Amino acid sequence: MKRMLSLLFAAAMAASLTACGAAGGSSSASSAASSSGADPATAELFAMDTVMDLTAYGDNGQAAVDDSSAEIQRLEKLLSRTDADSQISALNNAGGAAVDTGSETAGLIGESLAYSAAVDGAFDITIAPVVSAWGFTTDSYQVPSQAELDKLLTRVDYRRVQVSGSTVTLGAGQSVDLGGIAKGYTSDRVAELFAQDGVSSGMISLGGNVYVCGSKPDGSAWRVGVQDPNNSESYVGVLALTDAFAVTSGGYQRYFVQDGKTYHHIIDPSTGYPAENGLISVTVVAGANAQEGTVSGSGTMCDAFSTSLFVMGEEKALDFWRSGKYDFGLVLVTDDGRVLVTKNISGQFTEEKDSGYSYEVVS
Amino acid sequence: MKSSVKLSFCRWDILVIAVIAVSAAVIGWALLTRAAASGDGLTAVITQNGTVLESVDLSSIPEGESQEYTVNGDYTAVVELENSRVCIESSDCPNQDCVHTGWISKAGQSVVCLPNRLVVELTGTSGSDSGVDVVIG
Amino acid sequence: MRHMTTRQLTLCAVLTALALALSYLENLIPLSLLVPLPGVKLGLANIVTVFALYALGPGQALLILIARCLLGAMFAGNLNALLFSLLGGLSAMLVMILLSRSRHLSVYGVSMGGAAAHNCGQVAAAVITLGTAAPAAYLPVLLWISLLTGALTGFVASLLFRAISHTNLMKA
Repeated sequence: MKRMLSLLFAAAMAASLTACGAAGGSSSASSAASSSGADPATAELFAMDTVMDLTAYGDNGQAAVDDSSAEIQRLEKLLSRTDADSQISALNNAGGAAVDTGSETAGLIGESLAYSAAVDGAFDITIAPVVSAWGFTTDSYQVPSQAELDKLLTRVDYRRVQVSGSTVTLGAGQSVDLGGIAKGYTSDRVAELFAQDGVSSGMISLGGNVYVCGSKPDGSAWRVGVQDPNNSESYVGVLALTDAFAVTSGGYQRYFVQDGKTYHHIIDPSTGYPAENGLISVTVVAGANAQEGTVSGSGTMCDAFSTSLFVMGEEKALDFWRSGKYDFGLVLVTDDGRVLVTKNISGQFTEEKDSGYSYEVVS
Repeated sequence: MKSSVKLSFCRWDILVIAVIAVSAAVIGWALLTRAAASGDGLTAVITQNGTVLESVDLSSIPEGESQEYTVNGDYTAVVELENSRVCIESSDCPNQDCVHTGWISKAGQSVVCLPNRLVVELTGTSGSDSGVDVVIG
Repeated sequence: MRHMTTRQLTLCAVLTALALALSYLENLIPLSLLVPLPGVKLGLANIVTVFALYALGPGQALLILIARCLLGAMFAGNLNALLFSLLGGLSAMLVMILLSRSRHLSVYGVSMGGAAAHNCGQVAAAVITLGTAAPAAYLPVLLWISLLTGALTGFVASLLFRAISHTNLMKA
């Protein structure tokens, strides 16, 4: 009798302990399952003139993906040059009058002006009329005449754009295009949403603007392949990244051929012509500091710098990197068959064997 | 003691070691050959506007031959599929970016025709070590 | 199972506590850095299983094993770990019972067989939990590791046996 009672008592105690364990156990089981690769939430959408893929693991993955999709669409409506109702269109059609674009757009324009100053004009959102003249905005390519370019270049000067609070004033005849920075900014916003929604493992590619959140569910780093500009089937190498942004720009991504000459879409603001400065691809990598409530800004930076440094060419790009004013890493592919990787990311970069390039680490 | 037990290592223990070692080797070999045999197990997934139009197992295409898949939409594009690679061979879209992209042959790579909202993506395994999660550039 | 004496009962309890302590100890070793499966462990607690197997027989050894697994899972607050430790421990137990019947094998052989079976059980638990056959890829590595951990277990067990051979701890 005593034995039965004590057995019952022990069983009851054990059962009560198990209740605590079960709560902890089942949630850790589900987190083990999801953190070990149960299917992530994904979305694919067409926005900002490109295709965007979102992937988020964990219980909040679907919420994060939904929030991010909505945010992407919101930003497109806000920033698109081709959407007649966007803030940018309002600004471009204002004829030089001050426009209240709202603090977000004004802030982004202010940021791009700061980047322009940092790279001495190699990045310039007022390049819009020149880009249109080449037909890149309408997909009807043409080579503009020198006279037309000369005329349009007089309107290209980021220093004539004024930002005051949420008010932006363009210089005479100017129009802006945020295409070189919008996707980067969007990736920063998505990174913030992922953090807010509690996603600790995920990956997005906004038309090649990549953000990796945390590491992969199994704990290993995300493997980001860098496209070989000269061989569509191959990579120049693979970057192992966690919590980071990476963006690649290259002329090979969008170009047309006329009369035997190739014209690509990365226009040098100082000449009005596609930049030919010895680089065929520039990849900018930066760590993210995505925390709830803060936008790290690294995605915006990588986007802006990927085209700027392409325009600047190898020497100036590396000097800029060495100046240390901004914290990022570079993978440059030159037109003479070299791949340069800056020292601060060389440990995360794995060369592709047999790619035919000669690899150098730059410090 | 319930049963006597030898306390020092003896010859028969080597048998146990051998069995375990051989099992490990056999399992390892089996896993490797299974991974290699499931192809350069590449599948080409063709989507338009997010809807999957067609999913093609490339290993079903004999080497040296090619298949074509025509996509209609705002524009017409022809996807060419071979045993180890795919490309958009022609398209009447205005910017031709998709045709300019050329062949892709690794899982994770994709060719996109934006005007047509067309995405041709390779999924699966392609060789043991070139598995990237995303491609930039 | 015939009636346990108080001495045997106490011994069982002590061994269970010891096994729990060993379980906790091996959790401090980050094996998941090498083999990223949740719940993968070295199997140090098998030292107790081996010892109990020879000293007390399969019945009581099994009791200790189950008690250790249940209590371990409860203390860790993680019911999921129960599947891993049970499958691992029971597989090890089964194999060791079989191997211990052979008069040719030393405690080393039995321990190594037990360790190998322990890892197989862990992988099986992983496959069940994750719902994919992917964890099987770690089996070759784990089996090689089990040769080492099995040798270690056997070594410690042999020390134990030598140490108590002078005493009458084992007398029923």
